[in-house]
Amino acid sequence: MKALSLITGLLVGAGLIYGTLDMPKWGDPHSAASTHVSPYYLHHSLEHTATPNVVTSVLADYRGYDTLGETTVIFTAGMACLLLLRRGRSR
Amino acid sequence: MFEFVVGHYNYWMYIGLMMIGFYAMMAKRNLIKKIIGMNIFQSAIILFYISASVKKGGVTVPILEHAHGGHGADHAVDVMQYANPLPHVLMLTAIVVMVATLGVAVAVCIMIYRRYNTLEEDEIIMSIKRG
Repeated sequence: MKALSLITGLLVGAGLIYGTLDMPKWGDPHSAASTHVSPYYLHHSLEHTATPNVVTSVLADYRGYDTLGETTVIFTAGMACLLLLRRGRSR
Repeated sequence: MFEFVVGHYNYWMYIGLMMIGFYAMMAKRNLIKKIIGMNIFQSAIILFYISASVKKGGVTVPILEHAHGGHGADHAVDVMQYANPLPHVLMLTAIVVMVATLGVAVAVCIMIYRRYNTLEEDEIIMSIKRG
C-alpha cells in the first residue's frame, strides 16, 4: 500500500514537472498571467471603485458576489462543526 | 540550461511540497496526519499561484500610489510597477475554503475519536468489522 502510494505520488509529480517545462520563468513580467486581464484591473480599478488597494477592489467589488458566496461557505462549515460537535443523544 | 533551472526551480519546489502532502494523504494511517498532508497540499498550490503573480524589477504590492491626490483617473498607472493582483485575490478565496475544510475535517475526527477511541484507520476498520 505504501509503495503503491509512493509510486502514484511520484508519477503525478513527474507529470507536473513535465508540465512546468513550458511555464514562464519566475518573475517574468511578460508572462501570460500578467499580460492579458490583470492590466485592465490595475488601470481601471481606481476610477471604477475609488480604492487604492487593487486586491480589495477586485475581491469586494468586481467579485463581490463570489465573496458573498464565500460567506455561505464559512457559514456552512461553521454549522457543520456545530452540528458534529454537539453534545447530545448521539454517542 | 542553468538559466532555465533558475527560472523554473520554484515550480519544482512547490511540486515537491505537493508530493509530500499527496503521499501523506494516501499512505498515512493516522487521520490527523492525513489532514496535515491535505494542508501541505493546499499550501503548495497557494504558493504556486502566488509565485505566478511575481514580476521582477522594482515591483511592489498592488496598492496604487498617489491614489488620494486628484482622484486618480488622470494619472496613468504603470502596470510593470505592481504585482499581478488577480492570483492574490483567487488565493484569498482558496484560503477561505482551506480553513473551512480544515475545520470540518477536524470536527469529523473528533467525532470519530469519541465513537471509536482511536484515530488509526486500520483500528477503526477492524472495530467496524467486529460490529
